[in-house]
Amino acid sequence: MALYRLSAVRWSRYNPYYMEPEPRREVYVSEKEKDEERELKRVRPIKAATSGTSSSLFSDSVISKFINVMMQDGRKVLAREIMTQTLETIKRKQVEKYHTATETKKLEIECNPYNVFHQALENCKPVIGLTSIQRGGKYYQVPIPLTDNRRRFMAMKWLITECRDNKHRRTHMYEKLAQELLAASANEGNVVKKKHDLHKMAEANRAYAHYRWW
Amino acid sequence: MAASRAAVVGSLFWKCGSCSTGTFLICTNVNTQLLSRQICATPAMRRKNLAAAGPQKFTEEFIKKQVEEFNIGKRHLANMMDEDPQTFTQEDIDVSIRPRRKHHPGDQVFPRQTAVQWGEDGRPFHYLFYTGKQSYYSLMHDMFSKILAVEKYQDRLRSKNLFSLDTKQISLAGSRWLLKEELEESLVENISDHDFARFIQLIERLVALPYGAAEEEFVLGYRRQLEVQSSKQEIQPLQYDQKGVAYSTADGRRKMSTASVTLKDSGSGKFTINGMDQLHYFPVLQDREQLLFPLHFARMLGRFDVDSSVTGGGRSAQAGALRLAISRALLSFLPEGQVEDMRQAGLLTPDPRVKERKKPGQEGARKKFTWKKR
Repeated sequence: MALYRLSAVRWSRYNPYYMEPEPRREVYVSEKEKDEERELKRVRPIKAATSGTSSSLFSDSVISKFINVMMQDGRKVLAREIMTQTLETIKRKQVEKYHTATETKKLEIECNPYNVFHQALENCKPVIGLTSIQRGGKYYQVPIPLTDNRRRFMAMKWLITECRDNKHRRTHMYEKLAQELLAASANEGNVVKKKHDLHKMAEANRAYAHYRWW
Repeated sequence: MAASRAAVVGSLFWKCGSCSTGTFLICTNVNTQLLSRQICATPAMRRKNLAAAGPQKFTEEFIKKQVEEFNIGKRHLANMMDEDPQTFTQEDIDVSIRPRRKHHPGDQVFPRQTAVQWGEDGRPFHYLFYTGKQSYYSLMHDMFSKILAVEKYQDRLRSKNLFSLDTKQISLAGSRWLLKEELEESLVENISDHDFARFIQLIERLVALPYGAAEEEFVLGYRRQLEVQSSKQEIQPLQYDQKGVAYSTADGRRKMSTASVTLKDSGSGKFTINGMDQLHYFPVLQDREQLLFPLHFARMLGRFDVDSSVTGGGRSAQAGALRLAISRALLSFLPEGQVEDMRQAGLLTPDPRVKERKKPGQEGARKKFTWKKR
């Protein structure tokens, strides 16, 4: 019955009837897949593509989202610059490691910075979250399930705050980010530790899980 | 001075409302004591209450007679115009009769209305008459019996171990459910929002059944087709200059910028904006990506010579305006299927996001003044 998708933002310039655009070229090559969705898209109006996305091979929706989260005061140019420098730094470090490694170790080293980034983000995403619920005058930390968007956002936010606050102030942001991403992709580092702490808290507060009513 | 005359009427005679023609019934002496009432009839009472009458109702015979007369008139007209009466369409009638014609009763579309629903003995025909919404409830009962029939069929299949979930489902893509008004029209009854919601719930339940495809035509009768969005796109035809080279022009807008673009099918990838090369005009990579987005998506990167002009707005807005203008100009060069792909990629929608106005009593569009408790 719900033909209208609930808009995530509380007020959007678009009518909720509008659907999200798909800028990637490869999706339009295959004809038969997802016929229902394609049929639905044929009869619905589509939103305009944002200025951060394009059909280029180098544009990645997750990376664009990360750039936006990292951006401060609307300085997109700077945020994008930091991101490209981070990816470059990751590549350099990994290639250096590759050339100094033994034959067996060479296969395990991931040189593609995009893959490193995605792996690191995956390792940082929490599985379960906590929320404050008031019961009988006291506030309890109750474990709740998280949506995919929320998990992704939490991982990105943790990475950025970790780099901004807990690192040596004389290092550049891209260096800090590269270090943290490489550590996270190997399941080490402060961000992954923070994720594990959250999981432990949720496990400890398992008793209050029934306080959640939704 | 024939003013209101008090008439003494027996209660037995006070039935139909049209007895106000000035005749007053005089009761018999028998029931004078018990049943007589003083009733003053004024001329205002005798006037017909037009508002209470409701929409004009026509009897079946009246409608039939009008239609017959219309057909006879149509045949006469066809004979007069020396045309074949059998194939004389409404358009021919409009052409032959002058615009200032009288309102032809045959043109009037009589709205569907309920016929009399009870017989001579006063007994209603339909078994659900006393629910008040007989067609609605009978429809709901029909649908539910269909659901039960499908479930029974499914149970029979299960008992024979022939039940499988990968049956063809009813395709609901490209159509929408009937609106409440449309359902009311088809049932010739008024239904409430709650009733309509229940109707939609029940029919969706029927659709959701694995073997519900048996009732496909029934369900599709309650769906209305939605028009395909890409058909609303206006594509300019290609123009050719003196040397025979194809070109097309288009405009685009974003925030406060307007751009105008000319695409020439020359074969070089030159890109000029306001006389400058795109690399000098847009030093930022993101803007150049935006300019090339539509051409890259359509796989026509090196084919065109782009000559454009843009004014107003900021860096990003100008890039967005140019992108929209290029996409629109590119439509003339593309085959049909690709136009729909461009639309689904979000290249053809003008971005409605503009700067939100500042409101009085606030610092900006959203920011409020410092809140002071007292």
